[in-house]
Amino acid sequence: MAMRRRLMTLSATILAIGLAATTVLAVKPEGNRATRENGRVIYERSCLFCHGAEGKGDGPAGWFIGRYEAPHPRDFTSEGFKLRSTESGSLPTDQDLFRTVTRGIPGYMPSFAGLTETERWQVIAYVKSFNPAFQTETPAPLLLGGPAPLASPTSIETGRALYVRFECQACHGIDGRGDGPVSEAGDLKDASGLRIFATDLTRPLSFKNGSSPQDLVRTLMTGLDGTPMPSYAAQLTGKEDEAWYLAQYLLSLSSGSFP
Amino acid sequence: MSQRSITLGILMAVAATIASAFVHPEAQAIPPFARKYNVNCTACHTAPPILNPFGQRFLENGYQLPGTEDGGIIGKKKLGDVTLDDVTNFVGFRMVGNVTRSWSFKQQNPPGAAAGVVQNKTEFTFPDAFTMFTAGTLTKNVGFMVELGHDVEGGTTAVERGFVTFNNIGYHDLAHVRVGRYDPSAFYSYVTIRQQLNDVVESTTSGCTPFTPCGLNRAGLAPSAFAAKFYGLYQRDGTAISPFASSLFNSGGETGVDIHGRPFGDWFLYQVGVLNGANEGFGDSNKGKDIYAMLRFDYAKSNNFSANISGFVYRGYSNAKVQSQDDVNWNRYGLSARATYKMVDIYAAFAVDKIDKTPTAVAGLFDSTATGLTIGADTYVTNKTLISLRYDNLDAGGMLDQRKSATFVGLQVKQFLRTNIAIFARNDFNVRKSEGSDTAARNLRNAFFSGVDIVF
Ligand code: HEC
Ligand code: HEC
Repeated sequence: MAMRRRLMTLSATILAIGLAATTVLAVKPEGNRATRENGRVIYERSCLFCHGAEGKGDGPAGWFIGRYEAPHPRDFTSEGFKLRSTESGSLPTDQDLFRTVTRGIPGYMPSFAGLTETERWQVIAYVKSFNPAFQTETPAPLLLGGPAPLASPTSIETGRALYVRFECQACHGIDGRGDGPVSEAGDLKDASGLRIFATDLTRPLSFKNGSSPQDLVRTLMTGLDGTPMPSYAAQLTGKEDEAWYLAQYLLSLSSGSFP
Repeated sequence: MSQRSITLGILMAVAATIASAFVHPEAQAIPPFARKYNVNCTACHTAPPILNPFGQRFLENGYQLPGTEDGGIIGKKKLGDVTLDDVTNFVGFRMVGNVTRSWSFKQQNPPGAAAGVVQNKTEFTFPDAFTMFTAGTLTKNVGFMVELGHDVEGGTTAVERGFVTFNNIGYHDLAHVRVGRYDPSAFYSYVTIRQQLNDVVESTTSGCTPFTPCGLNRAGLAPSAFAAKFYGLYQRDGTAISPFASSLFNSGGETGVDIHGRPFGDWFLYQVGVLNGANEGFGDSNKGKDIYAMLRFDYAKSNNFSANISGFVYRGYSNAKVQSQDDVNWNRYGLSARATYKMVDIYAAFAVDKIDKTPTAVAGLFDSTATGLTIGADTYVTNKTLISLRYDNLDAGGMLDQRKSATFVGLQVKQFLRTNIAIFARNDFNVRKSEGSDTAARNLRNAFFSGVDIVF
């Protein structure tokens, strides 16, 4: 058993390294003053209108994005980053920030893959300088759930049972359409008090944190801080397979391949 | 506003609501750039078609995200050795216009009606304008835009705008060049073609002959700052120019070459251009070319606030004629400003139109100066309800015996049923009743419109 655990940890590490290797091709510039200065120039052209000059999420275009509802652009000076590979309550890793800037956030922030990788690293260095906690903390990614078991009707059925057991339907609805009673009642609010809706899980392209099985496992383990979407790390640590089954069930909601 | 028009408006709203209930949310479409970048319209627009500062920079950068030269890569498909946008990523449609309208005239004198009677008229129409547009990037730093417009009432289809843009020539944001038929005011603080209250064209008496006054039955409802402002001005072929028609820098579409950029950092935008000449048919340009220059100052840092102010000079060369068929140089000097705070957007434009050297044939009969002031404001009162207000004052120039000034206030409520489907109700009041007796500008007391705005 212990042997198996160690093997899984090892393969998860390999997986994590593998993932990191595919996203980071250019050499990441050192986080020094020159890098931040280059980052500032990019930030003021590309990000300022939404995120604001001091990174407080109060850029002049920001308010219109969600109007009276969530989300408004991220306030980089505050806690509660949504898209992380780290424990709930922690800051995101550099890789997480890089992924967000590269992929964008469906619905709310365009992909900045049009910036060169070096430029993206530079702007991230500048974004981090808004929040002193980035200097003192070294956020570490959670190990995400070992190798994925193959999806099968049984694994998806297990995933469905977990969905019900964890009461995901309260917010996301029994069919995953985002129409659970708590969400419909308008009771869900984000950290800044704006009304937020539970995601329609049948539309994976709208997932902010990505929609691959790995992405979904990450979302479940870390939660989306600053929103009512909780972290299930407590329930799922040590039960990696369950995290994968749940992810497989979520994907089946849109694929239709396993009814 | 008549009881009947209110009933009609309500009926329409109900019909549209029912219709929209059958549209599954997944079928909810978003226009091309939103599709290409996978974001909502609100990433670039305060209230479509009005742009927020981010959308403004996207436009300035030739349809590339601000700060990037991404033309060649985002949202593209590789086909052999060329990359293309997915078709849905660059084709969009907009259908907008009034479905019902209702006029109230004072002292109208139609055949059979006695002078001084109030006349009301309610009409069903079809959304006036249908446009199809395609825009995107061909490769790094080369963008394009083509907009075909169909005027349903007039029955004409035309290329409203169509141009190619070469961006970031020299270094980033030094110079972007547009060639083709474009809106010269695209970077002005108050853009001609980005309005919440759509232009309602004037109605003229039929059978007007060249170089003779054309009777106005009903004033047009269009931003006075952008309008031609002169009575008794003609195109070179003799067609009367409506004092309410958008023109010169604010024409919405003219053929020429334009250069703009922000070489001195983000605070200033410069723009210069040469046009074939306002109000000219294709291939029949005026003797000289028209030229313009604009400077814009931006403040857009944070605290949910942004503001900008811009001024331009437009010099026309033999770009119009007067009744005596003499050429005139028709110029415009404009100033405009905009401030946005949270969900409130306020903008204004003032323009002085001046005709150099009044021809001797009309000397003493022609006022060579005219001004227009337009002030607008939009705000969302809920996530789905947009309220817009516009004030227009036209101090008309031109032939003293024809010219009539006008002042209108318009109020519009727009309700979004989906992000891309809205219905609206609007009322325009004539608030100037002093000038003249039985004139179009005075007669139109009140106008009510309701319609739809659909983009996909
Ligand atoms: C069009 C507006 C817009 C622009 C431009 C924009 N962002 Fe964002 N960004 C947002 C919004 C809105 C959110 C919050 C989305 C949410 O919470 O669901 C966000 C969130 C983020 C996040 C936080 C994600 C998290 O984990 O919570 C990062 C990091 C980020 N943006 C970086 C950038 C950088 C760097 C740039 C410039 C290269 C940029 N953004 C440009 C709108 C924008
Ligand atoms: C208390 C309400 C609540 C519960 C319980 C809840 N969620 Fe969520 N969930 C949310 C909200 C709200 C969001 C949207 C967050 C956002 O848009 O920023 C969300 C988002 C998501 C997303 C999309 C993440 C993304 O990348 O955009 C997934 C997937 C998800 N939830 C799955 C689940 C699963 C599976 C469960 C049960 C194990 C669950 N949720 C339980 C409220 C909840």
